[in-house]
Amino acid sequence: MSLIDTINNLLKIIGDAVANLVQNILGPGLGADLIVMGLGALALCTVAALTFMAMTWAERKVVARIQSRVGPNQAGPFGLLQPIADGIKMFTKEDTTPTSADRWVYNAAPLIIATFALLTFAVFPIAPGVVGTNLNIGVFFVIAVGSASTVAILMAGWGSNNKYSLLGAFRTVAQLVGYEVPMLLNVIPVIVLAGSMGLADIVQRQTLADGNPGIPFIVYLPLSALAFFIAGVAETGRSPFDLLEAESEIVAGFHVEYSGMKFALFMLGEYVNTLAVSIVFATLFLGGYAGPILPPYLWLALKTALVFFVFMWLRGTLPRVRVDQLMSLNWKVLVPMSVVNIIAVIILAKVFVTSPGLQAANGGILVTPATQAAILFVANIAILLSGLAIVARRARVLRLAEERQLESRRQANRAAVSGFAGGAPAK
Amino acid sequence: MTISQILFIVIALVVLGGGVMVVTARNLFHAALFLIVSFFGVTGLYVLLDAGFFAAAQFLVYIGAISILVIFAVMLTRGVQQAQPANSQWPAALITSVIVFVIMAIMLGPIAVTIGDRQFGNLSWPNIVEGQTVPAVPDDSLVRLGQSFVDFNQYGAAFLLTAVLILVAMVGAIWVARDRTLKDVMEERAELAAEEAQEAMLAGPAQPALPVGAAQVAEPTAEPAVRH
Repeated sequence: MSLIDTINNLLKIIGDAVANLVQNILGPGLGADLIVMGLGALALCTVAALTFMAMTWAERKVVARIQSRVGPNQAGPFGLLQPIADGIKMFTKEDTTPTSADRWVYNAAPLIIATFALLTFAVFPIAPGVVGTNLNIGVFFVIAVGSASTVAILMAGWGSNNKYSLLGAFRTVAQLVGYEVPMLLNVIPVIVLAGSMGLADIVQRQTLADGNPGIPFIVYLPLSALAFFIAGVAETGRSPFDLLEAESEIVAGFHVEYSGMKFALFMLGEYVNTLAVSIVFATLFLGGYAGPILPPYLWLALKTALVFFVFMWLRGTLPRVRVDQLMSLNWKVLVPMSVVNIIAVIILAKVFVTSPGLQAANGGILVTPATQAAILFVANIAILLSGLAIVARRARVLRLAEERQLESRRQANRAAVSGFAGGAPAK
Repeated sequence: MTISQILFIVIALVVLGGGVMVVTARNLFHAALFLIVSFFGVTGLYVLLDAGFFAAAQFLVYIGAISILVIFAVMLTRGVQQAQPANSQWPAALITSVIVFVIMAIMLGPIAVTIGDRQFGNLSWPNIVEGQTVPAVPDDSLVRLGQSFVDFNQYGAAFLLTAVLILVAMVGAIWVARDRTLKDVMEERAELAAEEAQEAMLAGPAQPALPVGAAQVAEPTAEPAVRH
């Protein structure tokens, strides 16, 4: 095996070596299998937790640069040891519980949010053959497990017995439950094109091999990618959709009463969820580990980092949206556009088929994959532009009505003032 | 005992224990959380049956959405902390649940029951019949499930009808929660008053004459929620 192959399959080789080692010691059987699975789970969780530390550093650095600040620079070179310093600080802080808190609920909430955030990593394909478990419902699993954070946040908000916490939890529910809808709706076009819900299959369809064109789905479905990204930002509760922990309004939202390691677990859950959304976006729309020259796991890391960079970019640039804007954007813009998009994609994918076998079975027009991609791209952009045009027109009508009202009020004021022309009447 | 049997017993204990805690918990919020524990156990049962899609759907729908709705209903209830687990209807509830349990046990169990000329029960479950192994779940079960939903010889019609039902419910929800102006509310109230007056006129001769000055139509006391 050449060196390049070894580097490309590094993760698989290490995994197989560990599995062989355990089986040599224990002998093949259920015990060895369980230990290998446990080690795999441990490795995934450790990687996720370490990435969480790196993400906190990267986010502080990048947001600082965007806002013309320096960011952490004291602990180690470029402040690289800052996450470790933060960790030590979190460990040594007093672990407080409010006296009137609902103890069980209060203490269970951070555990639940961290557990279910890490659970999503079980299905991400990191390289060919390197995946926790290749579920055939991968995408659906990730979104379903991600919805558990809503329950944990509600538990935190209620268990703290604090008005700000509860308000934060209420906002969360309205936001997370609402944005789950466009998230699911925009996964459907990808499933239709890939013909599978399994993440490994979806990556396979975007890889340049086995008669697949190797075009990432973001070229086919730019509108879906955009809507999925917006829903993902809202789903992880990050700026500009960070209403659940708006400091200036409700202190820190649902985790205002938490300190020490419990607070760290909330941060872990939040960042790991963000990482999970970045990986899902990279897998669904950017082709996951597929890419030339570099090893597959590096491609996945690069694409995930790119998506996470856009997350940070948004956080450093945009102000927080209002609650009503949040809801209107979801229910009046994203959801209708996504539904129209699904219908269009299903019809177009049925009419313009790429494989002769499908044409023989269902009819349709045989086109090359590039043509299919072009057709879907044009349809997506057309839906996006017409949707935006409708929204813009509606906004213009509302603004004009408001301006007319203002103008009439101004005229009334002017009329009142002109009654005093030539000086106010002396008392 | 095989591993899956042990797992089944553990999961069944989670489901039943959660269910018992739901009905006995004094704190309504805790009851709602135990309901989630019970739902989570059912998710585990689906996983044990190799039905991954149903497990994920159970998780998404019941834990991610319905339990949130339940928790919201709980939070809008008065006296969440000191709720009485039982009220005067507990004997009726007990009898109903025993009857449902007996029917389910007969329908799904190995005992044969003949009612009229139809036979119920007598199911031979693979693990109940000694020596019979569980058939493996086919790999394309998800594909088959999807195809059976769009096939009109299978569940196509039911699928479409469900979709229409959900659409109607959605339209209804939007209609109930629509923006109402003061004018709309006043018009509705005027219509209601006119109808009542007409009814009173029709029923007029049979009624004893009211004393002068008695209110003919009761004024609505509480102002409805109006958005201007």
